Amino acid sequence: MSVADVLAALQHSALASAVRGDAAGYDWLFPIIETAHVVALAVVFGTVAMVDLRLLGFGVPGSSVRRLASEVLPWTWGAFVFAAMSGSLLFASKASVYFANHEFRMKFLALFLAGLNMLVFQFGAFRRVAEWDARRPPPIAARLAGGVSLLLWILVIFYGRWVGFTT
Amino acid sequence: MLREFAGWLSATPLSRTLQDVLWVVPASQSVHIIALAVVFSAALMINLRLLGLGAGGRSVSQLVDTLVPWMWRGLGALLLTGAIQTIAEPLRQFVAPLFWAKMLMIGVVVLATAVFARAVRSNARRWDAAATRPAAARRFAVASTLLWLAIIVCGRFIGYTWAFYA
Repeated sequence: MSVADVLAALQHSALASAVRGDAAGYDWLFPIIETAHVVALAVVFGTVAMVDLRLLGFGVPGSSVRRLASEVLPWTWGAFVFAAMSGSLLFASKASVYFANHEFRMKFLALFLAGLNMLVFQFGAFRRVAEWDARRPPPIAARLAGGVSLLLWILVIFYGRWVGFTT
Repeated sequence: MLREFAGWLSATPLSRTLQDVLWVVPASQSVHIIALAVVFSAALMINLRLLGLGAGGRSVSQLVDTLVPWMWRGLGALLLTGAIQTIAEPLRQFVAPLFWAKMLMIGVVVLATAVFARAVRSNARRWDAAATRPAAARRFAVASTLLWLAIIVCGRFIGYTWAFYA
């Protein structure tokens, strides 16, 4: 089975058909799921931006990066799961079209790089966070991670919005 | 009358320019989403704190001092990009009841947030010392969260419903 077959099978599933609103009574399912996706991504981006901006040196003077991360990131992850689930449903509705779409691919490239950047930070500068937790500005590695993360997430949103105009 | 105004506005050189440049509306919408993410997340973190559900390590006044200015910055970006989208496609907004519902709710939630932030700032010590928040603060937290959610829903659904009224 090729990738194209898998995508076609996904797109022809009953679930994908429901999301597309093929049957009467399902007309509003796509807009509803899309709105849920927007709310979820708003929480993901907003909370990530709080941490990124703190890493760049903004925020409450002397406040702990570790504490901010522990307070905010559980909400980020919860919302991310929600965004991924709603996004998967939207994807299924036109799987072949989205998969071939340039903006869609760029969005996932940016998302992948954002994840990579997070891992590098997690296993790099963040391991020594005790040394710079309340310091402002944070070390260059942390500032870099924050700036790169902010930029990549902005790209994720731009490409995501563009998908709606090009599919 | 709104329809005539929309017709006049969409014929202005500014609106024409915004319509002709293909990337203006998608780019403006993207910035709009980023700004709403900032505003909604900031409101959510404050409201969760008021409800005793998060950010326990930080005082209410500290949260308000840090996050409310970001809400106003985000709101500025929302108004600017919203205005760009309205000037580019006035009819789409003006005929949609959801657009007016959205504007009304924005007015209410912005006013409530300003009053709340003032109340916290003018009496920070009492707010931070209170073991449980006043009932009014909890009501504000619930109402503000629901209003912002409804505003986002209306915003997304304007695009799906405006054609029914055009």
